[in-house]
Amino acid sequence: MLTSLYVEGNSWFHRLPVRAKLIALLLLSLLLFATQSLYLLAPAFLLCGWLYFSLGLTIRQALARIGFVFFTILVLAVVNLFLLPLPEVAALVLRLMALVFFAAAVTATTTISAFMDEITILLKPLERMGLLNAADVSLALGLVLRFVPDIFARYEAIREAHRARGLPIRPLTIIGPLIILTLKDADTIAAAIDARGFRRQ
Amino acid sequence: MNTRDLVLIALFAAIVVVLGLIPPITLGFIPVPITAQSMGAMLAGCIIGAKRGALAFLLFVLLVAIGLPVLSGGRGGLAVLAGPSGGFILGWAVAAYVTGIIAERFIHEGQSESRQFGGFFLASVAGGIVVLYGIGVPWLSAVTGTPLLAAATGSLTFIPGDFLKAAIATLAARAVYAGYPLLPARA
Repeated sequence: MLTSLYVEGNSWFHRLPVRAKLIALLLLSLLLFATQSLYLLAPAFLLCGWLYFSLGLTIRQALARIGFVFFTILVLAVVNLFLLPLPEVAALVLRLMALVFFAAAVTATTTISAFMDEITILLKPLERMGLLNAADVSLALGLVLRFVPDIFARYEAIREAHRARGLPIRPLTIIGPLIILTLKDADTIAAAIDARGFRRQ
Repeated sequence: MNTRDLVLIALFAAIVVVLGLIPPITLGFIPVPITAQSMGAMLAGCIIGAKRGALAFLLFVLLVAIGLPVLSGGRGGLAVLAGPSGGFILGWAVAAYVTGIIAERFIHEGQSESRQFGGFFLASVAGGIVVLYGIGVPWLSAVTGTPLLAAATGSLTFIPGDFLKAAIATLAARAVYAGYPLLPARA
């Protein structure tokens, strides 16, 4: 149900370590926001676009992933045309699209486990300060992935129950029972986690 | 934080993911489709409280960032966070926190039903609309260069739908509070 946005492949960008890609994304966003020059932004846009489309996604898949974001950018660009001079609007659009291309490329070439390893390292300082437990974050993430299909099945069951009784299907009448039924499991799951000693405390 | 809080946070994040899988419903009189997911911050604050609600949304943002298509319409990944509406997604955690603070303060057992409805509605509007737009709109304006006033005026289109969502969240939160109260529990 929740298939990752990672794309199998072995391009040079796939082989780059996650940390390098995330730092590059951060630097790129700082650099792109620092400049207004179309001579810098247009090549950046083309380069990031080329990078994203060279990762092994079909054009259609590639566009499906970022289409919604591009749509928003274009709508705002149309509004901007009435308020700002043309070169400025062009700069804004190119900058934002370059950034979105690059961010989508990072997402497409990094596995969830690679991200998680990196996040665990990033959380280390917080752990040392006693603010949180990095293992808890991984556990919570695992729990979400484990329970989404179950909760969706529960949603389907509530919907079927509505149908069987001839009731209209409305968010209001579904969300309440869905939340109560789901959160009622919390005690059982918590007891199971503690019984297995997953969290040593 | 005990294990039960951790599980509640994870389960609520999972509920928000499922709300994104529910097909959106278009109402006749408002042009904006109602996706159940954008009520998530209001529901999280009203149902599991400020701290757990905010953490549930931080976990959700983490899911988005590591490339899971958990946003409604199967969106996800760093591209969405880098785009114009990234502020709204990051703002959900703060929105859930503020909603939770207000709900925890105003809702008690033994109040009349109408006061509880009022409290949940106030919390949902303050957190899920005022705070969320307070973060999302300036962010959008900064990222896209659209002047703040124009961005704010454009966002007004979504406000009626958001009030409707606050109303639905209020009814759902009160139903959960009556059936399985979690709000006053420590965390």
